[in-house]
Parts: sequence; structure tokens; C-alpha cells
Amino acid sequence: MAAADAAPPAIFKPVRAIGRSTLGALRMVGGVGMFALRGVISVFSPPWFPIQLLRQLVAIGFFSLPVVGLTAIFTGAALGLNIYTGGGRFNAEQVMPQIVALGITRELGPVLAALMLAGRVSAAIAAEIGAMRATEQIDAMRTLSTDPFRYLVAPRLLAATLVLPLLTLVADIIGVAGGWLVAVRILDFNSTIYVRNTMNFIQGWDVGSGLIKAGVFGFIVALMGCYHGYNAKGGARGVGRATTHAVVSSAILIFASDYFLTTLFTHA
Amino acid sequence: MGFLVLVLAAGFLVYSLTVGGVGGQPGGYEVTAKFGQVGSLAPGAAVSVAGVKVGTVSDIRLDPKTYLAITKLNLDPDVKLPSDSTAKITSDSLLGGVHVAIAPGGAADDIKPGGEIDNTQGAVDLFGLIGSVMRPQGDAAPAAGAAPAANPAATAPDSY
Repeated sequence: MAAADAAPPAIFKPVRAIGRSTLGALRMVGGVGMFALRGVISVFSPPWFPIQLLRQLVAIGFFSLPVVGLTAIFTGAALGLNIYTGGGRFNAEQVMPQIVALGITRELGPVLAALMLAGRVSAAIAAEIGAMRATEQIDAMRTLSTDPFRYLVAPRLLAATLVLPLLTLVADIIGVAGGWLVAVRILDFNSTIYVRNTMNFIQGWDVGSGLIKAGVFGFIVALMGCYHGYNAKGGARGVGRATTHAVVSSAILIFASDYFLTTLFTHA
Repeated sequence: MGFLVLVLAAGFLVYSLTVGGVGGQPGGYEVTAKFGQVGSLAPGAAVSVAGVKVGTVSDIRLDPKTYLAITKLNLDPDVKLPSDSTAKITSDSLLGGVHVAIAPGGAADDIKPGGEIDNTQGAVDLFGLIGSVMRPQGDAAPAAGAAPAANPAATAPDSY
């Protein structure tokens, strides 16, 4: 590894090492920013590739449904049990439907759907584009005067941004259904009352703010996949590294932006 | 698989919307009952006679003059209740919701659709009662054997 070779001098020249890693981090942030800007511009400017967009919508959206649904139903059920137990400590088991609904729609639905998409889609995009980079297909594309940003990046960015809110909506419904299933089957709640409490409690903004978050997360997931794939270096190993980086960085960015968006929605 | 997830989600959504919106089942008849205290009774709660469900609570509102809670009960048309029946709000279980239990009377005439159940007994604050017994022990489970009157002094009003 290059890091192992560089280790002894880095220890003896700490200032230089700090400087190098800081510059590296800044270069990375700037690179992602420029890449995102170029991606957004190419989303909004012709030529468009509707077939590519459609293909990505199906690949990112429809085929993620089983994973997202399973995640949501188990999370909703576990969340329900935990809130029931926790609520029992101050005699408030009855608020379980409301808290499950709030937790799922505002927080867990978007975040879990996005994380599942990060694992499934971000890695796939990075591997696909990275392999195209490694086999010089991207250069060939440019030679044939097709902008790889418009043909590869823009459809993926747009598809993920559009489709993750829809996936989140499904995750919200399935998650609440998971909580409802546990409540009715195991905890002896009345089904009608559970559903009615949920429906009366939930407000449009609870769901809406989650969907806005989901749109941002979708953009992040596709952006990270495209960025790391597009900048993959060094053949097969580079592609492997690109997929890892894509998943890890999109997961971290999802959590970070989730916090800032939540602050914006709750304290603004 | 994707279709299955969509179908399940749509099914639950439709169920939620239908249950969350309307009152009792069609074909039932409505009677009213006034309670001094409904507790956590909510529209959709069951109405039972001898433990058998015969209808649902379709509406709860406050009478602004008498400060009584007026509940509308949607009952199965096959169940005719004597006019001196008693409606009582009881708990399904210690932890479940509450429902309306009706104890039939012995009068010869029945309550007409749109009529009123005069004899009522409101909700007892069971959670407050249990909580005051259980909280001092810290653990919820082993307190079942304790007599309710054993430690009334330990009732902690600040436990919320």
C-alpha cells in the first residue's frame, strides 16, 4: 500500500502530512462540487436521453422496491415493540401508533430507503461507470461526440432524485403497516383504533418533509456513485475501490445532510 | 417482488383510508349515550354485550351545556337492547384500549334507533390507578400481587 510506504516520512514531517491531507480533502470537496454542478447542468440542458432515463428509473426505483419494503416492515415492527416497551415505563403505551408513524415518516422511512439505495444503487452505478472508465469506454464515447455527462450521469442523477421520494412513500406505508402488524397481532391493540390514531395524528408536513429529504438523498446516492465511478483509476482494483467509496461516502453524506435538513425543517 | 410490495402498500393505504374516515358499518342503527368521563375512548372502539362485539363507537363530542361526553354507538340491527340497559366504559385489558360494554336490562320495551341509553357509567382512570401501584416498585411486572391500597402514600404525582 502507498500509505505504508509514506508512513515513516509522514511521522517525521507532521505539518507536511497534515497539509497534504487537508489539501486532498479540499480537492475532493471541490471535485464533487464541480461534478455535481456539471451533472445538474447536464440534467437541465439538451440533448436528453429519455430511454436511458427510463431504464434508470426502472433499475433504481422498481427493482429497489423489495429491499426497501422488507427493510421498512421489519424496522416498523421493531420500532413498534421498542416504543411500546419504552412507553410502558411511564404508562404511555397508547401513544405507540403516533410515535411509530412520526418516526417512520419523518426520519426512518427516508433514511432507510436512502441507505438501501446507497448499498444497492450507488455501488452498482460506481461499478458500471468505473468499469466503463477502466475499459476506456468513456473516452470512446467522447470520441463519438456523446457527452458522458449527458448520457451516463444526468439520467442517473435525475432518476434517483425522482424515484427515492416514491420509494420513501412506499417505505412510510409499509413501515407503519409493520408497526400496526405487531400492535394488532402481538400487543392486542384494536386494529381500527391503531389506524385511526395514526391517520388523525399524521400531518401532511410529516410526510412531506420526509419526501423532500428523500429527494436530496437520492441525488446524493447517484452523485456519489457517478463521481467515484467516473474518477476510478487503476483497472479492476480501482473499480472495487470506487464502489466501496461510493457506498461509504453516500451513507455518511446521507446522515449528515439528514441532520442539517431536519434542523432546517424543525427549527426554521 | 416489486409488484407485491406495491400491492401490499396500496392495500394497507386503502384499509387505513377507509377505516380512518367513516364511522360504523352500514345497516346498523344508532343510539346515543352520555358519559361523565370517556377517558381514552375513541371513535372506532368496540361496543359489546356480554363480551361479544355488537357495534362500534361512531362519534364522540362534548355537550357544551352539560359538559357530558355524548357518544354515538352504531349497533348491529339484530341486537335489540331493553330500555333500561346500562352502558359502561371498560378496558379491553390492562394495556389495550377501552370499549363500551352494555349490560342489558329487563324492561319490556327496546331502545329505538336514535334513542338514548340513560344508565351510563364513565371511564375509570385505570392507568392512574395501576401506575400509582406499580411505579414505586420501578419494575412493571412483579407488582401484580401488591394490594392497591398497600402504598397509596407512594403515589408519585411527578412521575410524568
